Amino acid sequence: MLAIEVDDLHKNYKGAWAPALDGFSFSVAQGKISGLLGPNGAGKTTTINILCGLIAPDNGTAKVFGKNCSTESIHVRNKIGVAPQQVALFGNLTAIENLRYIGRLYGLSDSVINKRSMNLLELLGLSAHADKRINAYSGGMKRRANIIASLLHEPELLILDEPTAGVDVQSRALILSFLQQYRQQGKTILYTSHLMDEAQQICDEVTIIDEGKFIINGTPGDLIRETTDCKKLEDVFLHYTGHTVRD
Amino acid sequence: MKRDIAGLLLLLIMPATLIIVMALVQDAPFRDYQSMKFDILLANNDQGSTARQLVDGLKNSDNFHIIDSLDGKPVTEDILKQLLQKGDYKIGVLIPAGITANMANSANIAANSISKKMGVDAMLPTGPLQGQMYVHVFFDPVSKPAFRTAISAALDKYITASCSGILLQRLSSLNKNSADTTVHNDDLTKIMQPIGVKEESLSGNTLMLHINSVQHNVPAWAIFGMFFIVIPIAGNMIREREDGSAIRMALIPNANKFVGPGKIIFYTLICSLQFILMLCVGRWVMPYLHLPQLYPGLHSWLLFPLSLCIGFAATAYGYFIGTIFKTINQALPFGSVSVVILSALGGIWVPVEILPHNMQRIALISPLHWSLKAINEVILRNGDIHSVFLPSLLLLITGISLWVISIIVDKKRPQSIQ
Repeated sequence: MLAIEVDDLHKNYKGAWAPALDGFSFSVAQGKISGLLGPNGAGKTTTINILCGLIAPDNGTAKVFGKNCSTESIHVRNKIGVAPQQVALFGNLTAIENLRYIGRLYGLSDSVINKRSMNLLELLGLSAHADKRINAYSGGMKRRANIIASLLHEPELLILDEPTAGVDVQSRALILSFLQQYRQQGKTILYTSHLMDEAQQICDEVTIIDEGKFIINGTPGDLIRETTDCKKLEDVFLHYTGHTVRD
Repeated sequence: MKRDIAGLLLLLIMPATLIIVMALVQDAPFRDYQSMKFDILLANNDQGSTARQLVDGLKNSDNFHIIDSLDGKPVTEDILKQLLQKGDYKIGVLIPAGITANMANSANIAANSISKKMGVDAMLPTGPLQGQMYVHVFFDPVSKPAFRTAISAALDKYITASCSGILLQRLSSLNKNSADTTVHNDDLTKIMQPIGVKEESLSGNTLMLHINSVQHNVPAWAIFGMFFIVIPIAGNMIREREDGSAIRMALIPNANKFVGPGKIIFYTLICSLQFILMLCVGRWVMPYLHLPQLYPGLHSWLLFPLSLCIGFAATAYGYFIGTIFKTINQALPFGSVSVVILSALGGIWVPVEILPHNMQRIALISPLHWSLKAINEVILRNGDIHSVFLPSLLLLITGISLWVISIIVDKKRPQSIQ
């Protein structure tokens, strides 16, 4: 079974001059790290919102582990963990308080929450800061705490929106290392980023989207090989999306 | 701010609305009470000519609207007291039996005295000088002391003037020379003031002992303070949407089924705790400040469920503001100013009974008015559960309605990862 199946998605926002998604299709196999790459306004975040069941497409279907994201959103949300680009945590609470609150809302017992929290905090280098308020964290620590919060219920699919944007090199290395470990547990990761080196380093496959349309899909190695005059993923990306600055 | 047009408009509109409402509300106390017209329930136990003249005079006055019959039946002393106790009327006047006889006796004594001074031996029939009789004035126990004093003074002034007129009229009819006002007599002052005005408490009502500033101010301002919970609630809700924690809740299946009610229950309990604490201050701290002690009424236990009802309405209002407004710049000015407006309309600042008639009708839409009414029932009328049922129900309906609207608005608002 595919982890993600997106078929002919269309989405128009009221007042927008162009469709956010214009017949976009792609899929992700289970147990892979898949990169969804595209310039600003390409339709990445809209796709993630549809996959999470937060917004409904105008046309087309999106499925996660065979469940329709619009009509079976509760089931889908139990299967996915999302770490948005914005740190989605309560700044006035400590990391452990955030995790306890979120864990209880997922229906986890206190003992399970504590066990998983301690394990994840340790893996992502935050165990010494578990009792600090999120507001007191650095940018990199906030990103790591954000990822931990999305993993607490042990989702089968982890969706990460720019997980390393604006973080220091050490935090970035820790996050990427952790994601590879997580994939080794058989979990699926959908990852968006503007950092092509990073995508090339950790993604098993990438899908390039632009102007709401599917552009190309493949492993980073294949894409580099098959695209004329390209030595790295960034060259492939620019080859397909152009050099025009997007706002 | 340039992009938050609604926030900017609210910063202009809300103070303008506040000024209009406060000017209307505060206009009443700045006007002399005598320039206003009040409904007065009147029971006449005398039925003599003097009593009739007093009633006619009051009916013709510009200040009072006299109600001496209800459903075609004359108002009796018992009905008058019952209706005032229930708060259906604010002011009651009871003319006791014997007023006419006392007035006639006083007039005859005065005529005899004047005639004697003038060398005329007039011997009109007189009885022993009774001294001053009183027209009794009763008030709704909830009426504030300043209001009582002003109304009593106005009635006293009016009735004294009326009695003097009636007395002089009788003297004139008895003796054409009686208008010789140079005559002095030690008893004449007493004779010339046969009827006075005296404020009475409703029978068996110990509450008169507790009509004081603490009794009125503590619950009123405690309610006002409770409604200011809208600021932290609305502020937190908007902040959660802005900082992304609301999205985290949206991503957790069924989380909103727990998060919304959790917020409502938590803030309602905080409001209730705040109210109880304020009552404790009134009860045990005020006496140390040489102020009267707050009297919680005979059914003081009712204050706890009432505080929950008020807290729930206040919390739901904050939840509503936090839901419908997109930015803190919109929510906070609206929330704070609207609470001040609702409190002014609801009788927290100025008693509703002295507001203009139209404003009194508008006051009925204020949850703070129902809150104050319910609390006053308990601590100023010794009311029981039946007397607070309606305002409590209105508060609960308001809270539920605001909460349901908020849920609907929230569901319609697209939430998305940015």
